[in-house]
Amino acid sequence: MTTTASAAATTTEPAGRPTGGSKVIEDLQVSRFAPFRNAAITVVNLGVFFVIWELVARAGLLNPLFFPRISDTFQAMYDGFRDGTIAPQLGHSLSNLLIGLLISAAIGIPVGLFMGASRTADLILSPYVWAMTSLPRVALIPLLILILGFGNEMQLTIIVLSAVFPIMVNCMAGVKTVDPSLLRAGRVFGAGRLQTYSKIILPFTLPFVISGINQGIARGLVGMLIGELLGGGGSGLGFLLDRAGDQFDAPMLYATLLILAVMSVALVQLMRWLERRVAPWRDLPA
Amino acid sequence: MAETATGAQLQAAAPSGARARAGGGRPGPVPGPLAAPVIVARSVTAGYENRRKKTRLIALRDVSLEIRRGEFLAIVGPSGCGKSTFINMVAGFVKPLEGTVEVDGQPVRGTGADRAMVFQDYALLPWRTVERNVLFAMENRRDKPSKSEQSARVAEALSLVGLTGFEKSYPHELSGGMRQRVGIARALVTKPDILLMDEPFGAVDAMTREAMQAEFERIIAQTRQTVVFITHSIDEAVMLGDRVAVISSRPGTIKEVVEVDLPRPRLTGDAKSSPRFTELREHIWSLLQDEALGAKEAE
Repeated sequence: MTTTASAAATTTEPAGRPTGGSKVIEDLQVSRFAPFRNAAITVVNLGVFFVIWELVARAGLLNPLFFPRISDTFQAMYDGFRDGTIAPQLGHSLSNLLIGLLISAAIGIPVGLFMGASRTADLILSPYVWAMTSLPRVALIPLLILILGFGNEMQLTIIVLSAVFPIMVNCMAGVKTVDPSLLRAGRVFGAGRLQTYSKIILPFTLPFVISGINQGIARGLVGMLIGELLGGGGSGLGFLLDRAGDQFDAPMLYATLLILAVMSVALVQLMRWLERRVAPWRDLPA
Repeated sequence: MAETATGAQLQAAAPSGARARAGGGRPGPVPGPLAAPVIVARSVTAGYENRRKKTRLIALRDVSLEIRRGEFLAIVGPSGCGKSTFINMVAGFVKPLEGTVEVDGQPVRGTGADRAMVFQDYALLPWRTVERNVLFAMENRRDKPSKSEQSARVAEALSLVGLTGFEKSYPHELSGGMRQRVGIARALVTKPDILLMDEPFGAVDAMTREAMQAEFERIIAQTRQTVVFITHSIDEAVMLGDRVAVISSRPGTIKEVVEVDLPRPRLTGDAKSSPRFTELREHIWSLLQDEALGAKEAE
């Protein structure tokens, strides 16, 4: 070592920011349209996909009963929104899903945190939680219909039963995987029980909560659909699918599927965005 | 001079080089008489119980050690020799199975504001900025200073470790060396009597490591804490320590406590090229040679 200690402070370590001398971060010339590039690619991509769809359908290679033109599908969607066949059902499904997710979060988060924090609670509750997490939700439908009938309660219940356990399990995992050296740091620097929870365990668990909700959305969507398809309640997107199938209305069937796809993608993307927002240190892929 | 351990009891020799450090002495409470031991371990046996296997793993056996106020004690030994267990006992994480560990004449019962720790893996809160990570060391205390005093102290600690200008950065935006500077600032901000360092530079690259050692020597010359510094690098132990406790492994016992009589500052001077450095280094290596070869498989 020939440098002095104070010089070493500024010279040996690459830093993201200038500490005085030369600049580390320089401006880069980027096209103004660069941010829209990915969006443009997606639009073109989907456009090509729909055009090919239309061409294949028009060529008559496939039975239009199974494979309608995309133009007819969009027409059915447009008509459905105009004459009020779609919007109320979409609203019904969405509101059920959101209410179901809220209930699941309200139950799943505290119970999951509690199970993570208390070994006894984990020991007592985990057999039921794991059984319910693993059990295919469809199996519950007959029982739920028996208990709750064909009404909305049954649909809501199946959404909650689908979404609550992934949320619970993730919250528990979050608490259990708190970096032990962070806990030790908490002890060294005088954090009491309450402070350990509020300043270390909960912030550490937050991204787990979000990914739990993310999984809850995916499972909740399935729960929502099976409730509407098999529950025979006469409402929701599942009901639209069921009825379109019965009526051999392929464009409507496809239109509903498209709406479902858009809805799921939007929800999942929203949660991924949130996940990155709350935990930038985890460096999740964009 | 190298003093040989007689049995388990290791009496400290006169603190010849203990406070001969460079740098302007910090005015303020330089505690007590120099020779007074601040950390005393008396025939300590420590380990971990495995209830399922009904065994206990002895990490340290019959270790006695006195650490003087203001001393820089380096503890060196192969991995798994129980040196971390020792520092964890002083910190108050682990209780000895037998024997006692005392700090300032009181048996250690849990962690305390008089002892701060620097962790090998930094242990910074990733959701907090540099500034607020350092603040963490103060804000939990019942007798915490006023808000303005707190921010003044944070600024002082950050400037001491050369991180002024990075207050609002997050740990994940910093290099390993810089993260550990935050760790050091956090440990220093409350001006604790004792600084416990568990392989603090073990996870940074070799070049950064040397720079960090130099800086740390400078910082400690200013703050004058009692330092217990765990390392598995003999060079690091000799370069930094006033004394070096050499621990053998499985179970860990103290082989010898070596007095390091090199003048300070060592890192910025040419201590490393002095024949005395080589001599001390060789001596410690000869003590650890068999251990190191034996422990290789365990790593």
